[in-house]
Amino acid sequence: MKKLKGAGGDRAFRAATISALALLTLFFVVIIVSLLTFTDWGTMVNALVAPETLFAIKLSLITATITTILAIAIAIPVAYAISTNEFWGKSLVDSLLDLPIVISPVAIGAALLVFFNTPMGEGINNHLLRFVFSVPGIVLAQFTIVSALAIRLLKSTFDSIDPRYEQVSRTLGCSQPAAFFRVVLPLAKNGLIAAAILTWARATGEFGATVTLAGATAFKTETLPIAISLSLSSANIGQAVALIVILVVISLTALLIIRKVTGRKYVI
Amino acid sequence: MIEIKDLSFKIGDFTLRDLSVDIQDKEYFVILGPSGAGKTVFMECLAGLHRIKSGRIQLNGKDITRQAPEERGLSYVPQDYVLFPFLNVRDNILFGLKQKKLPYSVEQKCLNDLAVLLGISHLLERDPRTLSGGEKQRAALARALAPSPQILLLDEPLSSLDVQTSKYLRLELRRIHQEMGVTTIHITHNHVEAEELADRMAVMVRGSIEQVGQPQEIFFSPATPAVSDFVGSLNILECTACRQLVPGLMEVDCGGMLIILPHDEGAMQKIAISPRDVYVSDVLPPGPSVNRYKGKIAALDTSTTSAKIDVKVGNNMIRAEMPTELAHEMSLTIGKEVYIILKLRRLKVLGSQQSASPEAYHWYYQEII
Repeated sequence: MKKLKGAGGDRAFRAATISALALLTLFFVVIIVSLLTFTDWGTMVNALVAPETLFAIKLSLITATITTILAIAIAIPVAYAISTNEFWGKSLVDSLLDLPIVISPVAIGAALLVFFNTPMGEGINNHLLRFVFSVPGIVLAQFTIVSALAIRLLKSTFDSIDPRYEQVSRTLGCSQPAAFFRVVLPLAKNGLIAAAILTWARATGEFGATVTLAGATAFKTETLPIAISLSLSSANIGQAVALIVILVVISLTALLIIRKVTGRKYVI
Repeated sequence: MIEIKDLSFKIGDFTLRDLSVDIQDKEYFVILGPSGAGKTVFMECLAGLHRIKSGRIQLNGKDITRQAPEERGLSYVPQDYVLFPFLNVRDNILFGLKQKKLPYSVEQKCLNDLAVLLGISHLLERDPRTLSGGEKQRAALARALAPSPQILLLDEPLSSLDVQTSKYLRLELRRIHQEMGVTTIHITHNHVEAEELADRMAVMVRGSIEQVGQPQEIFFSPATPAVSDFVGSLNILECTACRQLVPGLMEVDCGGMLIILPHDEGAMQKIAISPRDVYVSDVLPPGPSVNRYKGKIAALDTSTTSAKIDVKVGNNMIRAEMPTELAHEMSLTIGKEVYIILKLRRLKVLGSQQSASPEAYHWYYQEII
């Protein structure tokens, strides 16, 4: 460490960190380039317009959008409650809500499947709404995974809002709900947009929980990640590559939009 | 009238203890205290932002202790104004009025009247984040005044402004208070602000109200050692003779010290000056010799961050205060000869609130300085 003191040390440290950044960036660029060059454009275009691909794209977009609406609608009050209240057992509740972020999605899908084999789960599945091996199951699996992400993102947004904005609005005649809608939500606008886009992108790419609960049936529960899995298992590499490229484009677009909206300030 | 009776509140390790004070209708009431005295917490309790454990707050005879902030009729301007960044100045001012659901014409008239009163008509379309400190303060005041509150709560409204703007806005606050007639509670740690603005004031130290009274009463007769420590004991000098230099400016003889000060009401018995307004120098300061005296340090206390220096000048003992660090830099010791200067504008004639006319100051600066 002694040798790394002074200006020489600064340069060496800078070179080391920038080299790490360059190596990782290169790693991802190589992967993307290998995807784009693996197959010729004709095969890729044919794979893109194949009915199965179009079905997977449509189903993914629809289910991810429904999931995002549901996840944001529940995450707003939950994140606000955690951010603004102190209560006994708060850290336990907070940790519980984070579980889906750290647990394997397959395990969560399996847990949901187990739940639908209990009397209560069977009752819901048979008489209320069919989730197992069906499209609502895709939405439920995605929701279980991404709601934790939406809550985490929105909590950090609400945490960053100075509570005095709300306090001042109260002294200007707002009730607590009025202060929330007239002051807190407008202040959280950028965070809300970022959370919605990231939640949507994550839901679009969700595989583990979805395939376990909703199954992998072509033209039925075939989302983009499931279509990739089915293509690989049937050795249709051209279609798999086309589907991966679509996922990469969707995710990259989402991330670029978030950076544009929030000025690179979003926190995961 | 707002009556606060035995208000106690605990937040973390800090406690407000049995605060009782009555504030009259249309009064400009200042709460003066050092940082950490609990002034902001007290104001937040009044605004209803904390649930107080014991005590009572009554507004015009009605108990508002348990009322929600929006039901109290008190507007609050926090220290850094907290203008809503997603609204322009116009919509910030209209914020409270929108909650009242008034007719559009009434809203617009109120907006325009306030914008004219506060001199911000040209700023209405601006993003509040682009305003200067003084402009933000005016916009926040307009927003707080718009819903016609019964009480206006100002939390250190001038503390983040530069000296010139702060001085100008002190006058503006006085003018706005006179024109609007809204009972105002203003908290500050600045003695000058308190003295210039307050009809009456309270001194708050470590969560307790130590003294309530008119500024002159508090500055000239501190009731407790805590008040005396914070406001500082004034130097009070007996006058033996006086003569008028020009209308509005007098020269008085205080035990051999010839002092020039603004006054035109004839003879005077006593004059006072705060230790903070006595400058000490170990070398002859440049400029005219007006209100400048040579003396010897008789006592020196550097045990706190503010050094207290007693300088013997003729028959008078004058106390000065300066940052202890500066006293050490000047190597001040007991017995050392120093020069002191009494700040002309801060000299007060006891029993008189009069200040010199602009002509007197003009003469002073032209003829003497």
